[in-house]
Amino acid sequence: MSEDQHSPETPETAPLHGVLAEYNTPGEILEAARVIRDAGYTKWDTYTPFPVHGIDAAMGIKMTRLPWIVLCAALTGLATAILLQWWTNVIDYPFVISGKPMWSIPANVPVMFELTVLFSAFAALGGMLVLNNLPLPSHPLDLKERFAKSTDDKFFLLITAADPVFDDKDTRELLQSTHPAVLDDVPEDRQTSDKLPRFVVYGMIILTVAALIPFAFFAKARMTQTRDPRIHVIWDMDFQPKYKAQRENPLFEDHRAMRLPLDGTVAVGHLKTDDHLNKGLVDGVFARTFPRDITPSSETIERGQERFGIYCAPCHGYSGAGDGMVHKRAAALQEAGVAGSWVPPTNLQQQTLYEQPVGQLFDSITNGVRNMPAYGHSVSVEDRWAIIMYLRALQRMRVASLGDLTPEERSALK
Amino acid sequence: MATNTTKSESTGHHGPHDGGADVTDNIKLGPEGDYVMKLAGGIGLGFLVVSIGLGAAASDGFKQFFHSYLVAFMWGLSIVLGALYWITLQHLVNSKWSVVIRRIAELLAQGLMLMGVLALPILATVLKHNDVLYPWLNHDLMHGNHVLHGKAGYLNGPFFLVRMVIYFGFWTLLARFYLKRSLHQDSTGGDSFQSTMAKAAPPSMIAFALTLTFAAIDLIMTLDPMWFSTIFGVYYFAGCVLAVHSTMALSLFWLQSNGRLVKSVTSEHYHDIGKMMFAFTVFWAYIAFAQFMLIWYANIPEETQWYAKRFEGEWLAVSYLQIIVHFVIPFFFLLSRHIKRNPKTLVMGAVWILLVHFLDLHWLIMPNFHRGGFSFHPLDITTLLAVGCLLAAFILFRAKQVNLLATKDPRLKRSLAFENI
Repeated sequence: MSEDQHSPETPETAPLHGVLAEYNTPGEILEAARVIRDAGYTKWDTYTPFPVHGIDAAMGIKMTRLPWIVLCAALTGLATAILLQWWTNVIDYPFVISGKPMWSIPANVPVMFELTVLFSAFAALGGMLVLNNLPLPSHPLDLKERFAKSTDDKFFLLITAADPVFDDKDTRELLQSTHPAVLDDVPEDRQTSDKLPRFVVYGMIILTVAALIPFAFFAKARMTQTRDPRIHVIWDMDFQPKYKAQRENPLFEDHRAMRLPLDGTVAVGHLKTDDHLNKGLVDGVFARTFPRDITPSSETIERGQERFGIYCAPCHGYSGAGDGMVHKRAAALQEAGVAGSWVPPTNLQQQTLYEQPVGQLFDSITNGVRNMPAYGHSVSVEDRWAIIMYLRALQRMRVASLGDLTPEERSALK
Repeated sequence: MATNTTKSESTGHHGPHDGGADVTDNIKLGPEGDYVMKLAGGIGLGFLVVSIGLGAAASDGFKQFFHSYLVAFMWGLSIVLGALYWITLQHLVNSKWSVVIRRIAELLAQGLMLMGVLALPILATVLKHNDVLYPWLNHDLMHGNHVLHGKAGYLNGPFFLVRMVIYFGFWTLLARFYLKRSLHQDSTGGDSFQSTMAKAAPPSMIAFALTLTFAAIDLIMTLDPMWFSTIFGVYYFAGCVLAVHSTMALSLFWLQSNGRLVKSVTSEHYHDIGKMMFAFTVFWAYIAFAQFMLIWYANIPEETQWYAKRFEGEWLAVSYLQIIVHFVIPFFFLLSRHIKRNPKTLVMGAVWILLVHFLDLHWLIMPNFHRGGFSFHPLDITTLLAVGCLLAAFILFRAKQVNLLATKDPRLKRSLAFENI
């Protein structure tokens, strides 16, 4: 404890820290700085209320190394972003997102950019502080009352006694030759500690430890098992007085929380009495005619063409020949040995389908057939019939001849 | 109060304050201007004739000619439009450092008048309803496609011509306004011109942003009428800013090597031009990637088809090349302050940027014509030389009549004494 206590020294008895010269204009301090620089001094500094252009050259200060530090940090940030994304997306938790490859650079560029900027910014701030010896808790000049003017309108130059060229007499004479407004001694500061205040140091340690506590809990939770129920902070949100789907409800005989509709219940718009329209059946066999509600018109066929292009063409192709994009891709993958077995889609132009009753086609679309999935849930009844009507037109087109056209249409073709 | 006065004086740049400066520099273009003007004018006219001859010889209904010409035209336009933007920006932010080089930009912007004339062949195709360049002039295409049919209200000949008249009219008037006021200040002095120019800046900047955006959309984006990208105007703008700073560095270097503005323009001014070139290299990459990533991620056919064309055949190599030559190389080259402060090295960067900017425009325009792969044609070079040389001759013709420095600008003293550090 005794080391911490020291008898306060008066400024007169304290050893000399340096000699301080005060100037009134930036021009004077630039001139003085050149003189001191040329005299070979190294441990000295100038203090001005604003950045004085050219002071770096006048003091002989070399270019800062900060840009190199920032460049290294930027490249580190870039590498970190690449490694982080590669490891999380490809190694640790591979997960297909919207059909993109596991490792796809375009998706990773924003994070690369952000981390590059983030690391650069931190390095620029931190590097600036370190290179400037900041933070500086105390300095002998703090005790000089007139030095406060360095943030107002006066310009100061301090040569420290620690400088190898410093000489008690010569240095003063040299400074005097630069015509300072005031020349003054600066004693060492023995009263204030030059270390960071204790509370700051302890505060930083406590904050660092506190910041690590959540991670300690995460680590514990991952490494251990417990039979204790989890903690419910908001009780009435976790346990709400209601029955959820698929849960038990003792109030009912069958203990089901989800109730079945009463016998004979029909939802609005779901009363489907017309088997011809809704199932493609007439007297229990597949219909060979279109239902009455489907109007044979060019609008219906165009609607069918549009729906066919959306739902059927990807596999069956626009002409129905079974050569859609999906098929081509799957066949190519199979050939390359990438994908397993692919059953080609049916050629809708073949004779058997030409002869198939429309009701059976309707049933195939509605419920699916062999490998083809059911489309009843995504294509409405009317649209399914429209698709079949368009398909009939497609099939007819295959055997069409010039004789099918009216004389007017034929002459229009010429 | 005494302290305050001292402070306000000293917190500025020590020494110079607002007020006229004594210019002892050589600020008039001499015989070298005449020489280069005549040379460039001759080369430009010669190559224009050669280009028309080559265009006719290609016997493809001038398709190759017009596409090559459009690339060269948009390249020239980006320089002078960038100059107009730059002047407006300096007045908008009351910039002091740039006063000493502002006249150069004011003269470059005069090229807009020539660009208006050079736009006539393009406008003629629209007037004639010839779809050699713009597919939307094809009536059958526009009305046979549901999406295009919906765009016909905007993409039609008469409205296109009206828009072009508005764009070029506004740009020419604004460029003339700024040069006229600035020259008037040269002869009479006074701050009232300053405030007139400063007051005009904010509305001009808004109008400029709108006209540039729509001009980029009309002249380049509609080459593929199905495609749309809301960032496209900004993409072209990034090229404009790169082009004008490079051209200014180049112009200053040429003037100084002929003994003009030697004392006035220092490495401090080159440094700032270089900083803008560096910043907009990054900005260009940022915008180009922002456009690409959204389209790539959403994967919507009508948007991706534009990139699909640029990934076919050799175009894929050009697309990858753009990342290297338009971003990575200029980024690392211009990173160092020593490069930017040395006029010689900065000019090397400027020439590089002007060339890759041309490649960028080629990449934007040509895949619409040369489907399936990159294909070079002599017209790509001859049209560029024609437009570039005619532009240089026109600007030099304007430049030899006036001072190369805004001598009576009240901020000139500060600009002359400008220091970065």
